[in-house]
Amino acid sequence: MKHNFENLHTIFDKYPKSQESLIAILQDIQKEYQYLPCEALEQTSEVLDVPLSTVFSVSTFYNSFSLTAKGEKIIKVCTGTACHIRGAKLLQDQLETHLKIKAGETTEDMKFTLEVVACVGACAMAPVVVVGDKYHGSVKVSRVKKLVKAK
Amino acid sequence: MIHITINGKVVQAKDGEMLLTVIRREKIDVPTLCHHEAVEPSGACRLCMVEITKPEWDGWCDYVTSCLYPAADGLIVNTHAKKVNELRSSILDMYLARHPKSPEIRQLAAEYGVLKTQFEEVVDGDNCILCGICTRICDTMGFHAISMVGRGHGKEVAPPLNMAPTACVGCLSCAKNCPTNYIEYNMENGGLTIWKKDFEMVACTECGKTTITKEFAEYLSKNRDINIDYFRKCDECHRKELAGTMGRISNWDREARS
Repeated sequence: MKHNFENLHTIFDKYPKSQESLIAILQDIQKEYQYLPCEALEQTSEVLDVPLSTVFSVSTFYNSFSLTAKGEKIIKVCTGTACHIRGAKLLQDQLETHLKIKAGETTEDMKFTLEVVACVGACAMAPVVVVGDKYHGSVKVSRVKKLVKAK
Repeated sequence: MIHITINGKVVQAKDGEMLLTVIRREKIDVPTLCHHEAVEPSGACRLCMVEITKPEWDGWCDYVTSCLYPAADGLIVNTHAKKVNELRSSILDMYLARHPKSPEIRQLAAEYGVLKTQFEEVVDGDNCILCGICTRICDTMGFHAISMVGRGHGKEVAPPLNMAPTACVGCLSCAKNCPTNYIEYNMENGGLTIWKKDFEMVACTECGKTTITKEFAEYLSKNRDINIDYFRKCDECHRKELAGTMGRISNWDREARS
């Protein structure tokens, strides 16, 4: 995928050029591109004078960073204890068949990424599916199609 | 200088010096997998665990990793107390479950009486114990070519972006210091391949034997102020040359005296 990396400098300029800024910068890059492109990691390493191996180590450590491009909307199926009990697996299966991808993958048209997460902190409304920023509670298998329809 | 007691013997130590350093100086055998005197201790392998106590602790003991515990005056250390040995064998038991094929782990475990693990063996595992000695050595040497990647079950040692690391000079320090000899490299036809990166070796101008990689020779001559010609001869030819030089010097001496 081709990107315009000019915006990177606006991100770099926001923070002091030291190792302490690494995570903040990676978070901003993640927000800007939805993932961490290789070129951006290389530039970050150069600008902050932090070894590329360290940058890579940090970006693979946190789950909030992704090294592969993600879809416009990220669908998170909660499989925490409460959601698991109330049928999260069925929702996951339904989403996987409907989107024709497995958990952790992105649809070919780059519209959706399906993720499985453990507990989003809304156990009272289990099972929970988060589409983009929106939380959907007490989701039924029959409602799954509707959730991903908003294309 | 302070005094500590190790296995009943009073020994001298510097204040703040790590216990393992003192123990090793006293030639006491404490097993370690992740320790290297040249790099910062990390306490990853947990095998250097010892029992410590002080008279004023009223019989209370603590179990600490000696590589990370600073010596303090009056400390009483037991490197092979019954409980310490038990701790070590249960740690080795877990190592054996995770790396059943590693000859190094099997030998060490056998020394502590663990011949077969009581846990379920990992069948398709590798021999990397994730002690991080390779990454710490690489960082200390200043190359930063490899690091710990990922976390939890997926954690592994890898070069950035899983591609041949530009920062690697092929010094082989990681592979040669790996406690389980897990890091693979291939040295044939006058070349070296490690971390999927290919290197050209410097060949001895006298006998043709390969010495170190071109990149490493260039790095050393540039950063450590060593004439690059030094690396164009292998150790053996350096020694032969030295013998010749020394012989000539003693001949001059003899001539001067006569």
